[in-house]
Amino acid sequence: MHGSNRRDFLRLLGSAGIISLGAVPPRFLVNAAETPGVAGRDKRVLVLIQLAGGNDGLNTLVPFGDPAYEKARPGIGISKGQALKLNDHVGLHPSLTGLKSLYDEGKLAVVQGVGYPNPDRSHFRSMDIWQSAQPQNENPRDGWLGRALEWQFDRQPALAEALSLGTDKLPLAFVSTRVNVPTLRRLEDFQLVDGQGPAANQKLTRSTLKQLSGQSATGELDFLRRSTTTALTSAERLKSLSSTYRTTVNYPATGLANRLKLIAQMLTADLPARMFVVSLDGFDTHSQQQPGHAALMAELSGAIRAFEQDLVEHKLSDRVMLATYSEFGRRVAENGSLGTDHGAASMLFALTRTGKAGLHGTHPSLTDLTDGDLKFNLDFRCVYATLLDNWLEIPSAKVLGAEFPKIGIC
Amino acid sequence: MFQVEKPQADGLLAPFESAGDAGWTVRHAAHLLGRAQFGYTPNELNRAAKQGLDATVAQLLTPQPESAEFQQADAALRKTAFATSEINDLKIWWLYRMWSSANPLAEKMALFWHNHFATSNAKVQSVPQMQAQNDLIRAQGLGDFKQLLHGMSRDTAMLVWLDGNANRKRHPNENFAREIMELFALGVGNYTEKDIQEAARAFSGWHVREGAFWFNRLQHDESPKTVFGKTDNFDGSAIVDLCLKQPACPRFLAMKLLKTFVCPEPTAAMIDAVAGRIQLHDFNMSPVLKELFSSRLFFDPAHQRSVIKSPLDLVVGSLRSLAATVKWPAVSRLLANLGQDVFEPPSVKGWEGGRLWINSSSILLRTNFATELASSDQIATLLPSVADGAGGTSDAVAARVERLLLGDSSSAQLHADIVAHHQRADGNALQKLRSTLQLVLSIPEFQLL
Repeated sequence: MHGSNRRDFLRLLGSAGIISLGAVPPRFLVNAAETPGVAGRDKRVLVLIQLAGGNDGLNTLVPFGDPAYEKARPGIGISKGQALKLNDHVGLHPSLTGLKSLYDEGKLAVVQGVGYPNPDRSHFRSMDIWQSAQPQNENPRDGWLGRALEWQFDRQPALAEALSLGTDKLPLAFVSTRVNVPTLRRLEDFQLVDGQGPAANQKLTRSTLKQLSGQSATGELDFLRRSTTTALTSAERLKSLSSTYRTTVNYPATGLANRLKLIAQMLTADLPARMFVVSLDGFDTHSQQQPGHAALMAELSGAIRAFEQDLVEHKLSDRVMLATYSEFGRRVAENGSLGTDHGAASMLFALTRTGKAGLHGTHPSLTDLTDGDLKFNLDFRCVYATLLDNWLEIPSAKVLGAEFPKIGIC
Repeated sequence: MFQVEKPQADGLLAPFESAGDAGWTVRHAAHLLGRAQFGYTPNELNRAAKQGLDATVAQLLTPQPESAEFQQADAALRKTAFATSEINDLKIWWLYRMWSSANPLAEKMALFWHNHFATSNAKVQSVPQMQAQNDLIRAQGLGDFKQLLHGMSRDTAMLVWLDGNANRKRHPNENFAREIMELFALGVGNYTEKDIQEAARAFSGWHVREGAFWFNRLQHDESPKTVFGKTDNFDGSAIVDLCLKQPACPRFLAMKLLKTFVCPEPTAAMIDAVAGRIQLHDFNMSPVLKELFSSRLFFDPAHQRSVIKSPLDLVVGSLRSLAATVKWPAVSRLLANLGQDVFEPPSVKGWEGGRLWINSSSILLRTNFATELASSDQIATLLPSVADGAGGTSDAVAARVERLLLGDSSSAQLHADIVAHHQRADGNALQKLRSTLQLVLSIPEFQLL
């Protein structure tokens, strides 16, 4: 029963390293086309890339025109000549060529000075704050997307679909105490296994099961039958992903690119997960930062560029919004080992089709610091509120517990 | 002579037999065992069908001797968990008990209380403490809730889990005080924030020392507290007693019992009826359950096969019906993936259950479990008594499978579909039986309890 398509697909997954289909995703495999009312705006998708470890925002969006920058970063600073200029003051890291093209095409928003009050410099704690969106809560038990999924589940369960890729465990952002979602580490867990015994019996069982589940019923039985039909259909679709999906886009051979490619495949197969979180690790650059950070920048940029081209090719780009985030930026002044220590406010990227591209907000001052770190001028929950209200159309005040001003990224 | 008897329940809780129903059938036996245990063995089903309601309920509620084999395995698994300090080993110990104990209702009630006092090793980080709490809920599970609540307020895992250990005179921690009111005894709306703040002071100094409860006199707030309108120098025990005296307490417990054993959305009338019995029996669970399991309400056709099986009901229940030996590590991982990881509930609220158990991935996992269990020895080996039922006509084999796995509840149409499946299946008699088992274990009907 394991055809070559399946083998191809699993090989593709293998090359992406450990794939954690962790996650929220309850019904993420649901066939949207068969779900009444799931169309158009409901098919909007949010992809978040978590830059784990604390990305150095100052060497990502470089304030090359600021003498304080040169002074603070004599060893690892990026010069005016190297930076990919966005205007007379700031430019992108030289490895972000793909993102620069997207910026020039009017598809990339760069949000400056993002953070939160009383920043915490612990990876663990600050990541919890970003993912729970509850800075006051010492022991958050759910995440902002988890709460968004709960809201969605209570209204249109078929849309409460999400998926985490490339993380060892379910990111807190997706954790919900109500929408109980298994963390599946391997894509094989989304496949039906073939049992032992006569092969014909496996086929027979599956077709009988499908036939029995297709009958109408009431109450819990009806719910179970519909869920079973959906799951079986989705499993078939997933199995045939590699045969239905074609692209001329040349994805770089990186983990992030593989994960984004998988998302593109799932979207072309019409598996209607609406929220994805993928992680890119390694941003904790305490020493000899330059080569490692440049490689990460290249991986980020190349993957997003290819993903965007793929979406355009498959006419999916209007449906997809992508944003990056990291638990904190890094100290303004480099340290003694050509690296940077944990900082505070930073910046993030957003790939947008409906919002305003270009620079958002103002760059934080490099001289007016708190404990050597940048001060934030935009609360990260404003970004979340924008994504929730304007993109996913889930009321942000319900998820975030308060109203936050929105920015124009979508 | 006079016999002093507690008045029999009437109305909703009137005894089942007196309802003039169609009598006692396999279907009723399967309903009772399915709810009161994690599934049933073929023998248990036959015995219950034969001996009737009263004898079955009496057997469920009377402690039964465990077999020598069970005692040996139980002791060995427990010892292993202590030796490795691995919570995963403790999970296997408990799963084994659910599957194999001669006192299955005690295990079902232990899970009921684990869900009620949901405590996770993720924070407690101690096999002995999780084990001790589990022993407490098993020992008291069918007994006096008042003692259980008192025991839980001094339980070391609970003291760590809800920060009692950090509750000090000058820095009261409200976590336990809040949850005893919100989740353990009363429910939302039956207390004020002020009650919680005051009660928290009464629990101050209830700490853990050397793995045991310790009353830390220096950290206990001796000043007067006002809780539920009463003012006194209350300590923690007095607060527990005050909670137990609130009228909301029996109603809260009644609601939880009904949701677990009868129907997902109990009516106010049902709650009142059961709360009345809890009060009458002074919070003693055994007579309350006896009346509940013997009631018309419990056997109301509308409530039969109306609840989505939890992962434990599905997995351990299937194994109890079909398995001779089980590969527990695989089963334990599966249960975690299905969302019911014992000793690590998602939060102090426990598992909400119902439709939240179901999503595309859990359906696929449930279907794959059916495939592996029925068609191979990957998870478990088949009970000889089940394998022996492979012979005979398709109609006879299908009927045996439906009796065991669906408690004879299948419609004529479903029976015809299962018979047709058996006829069309390839292979020898055992392979045809296995294919039929695989089908029935996968169908939506089997996901209902």
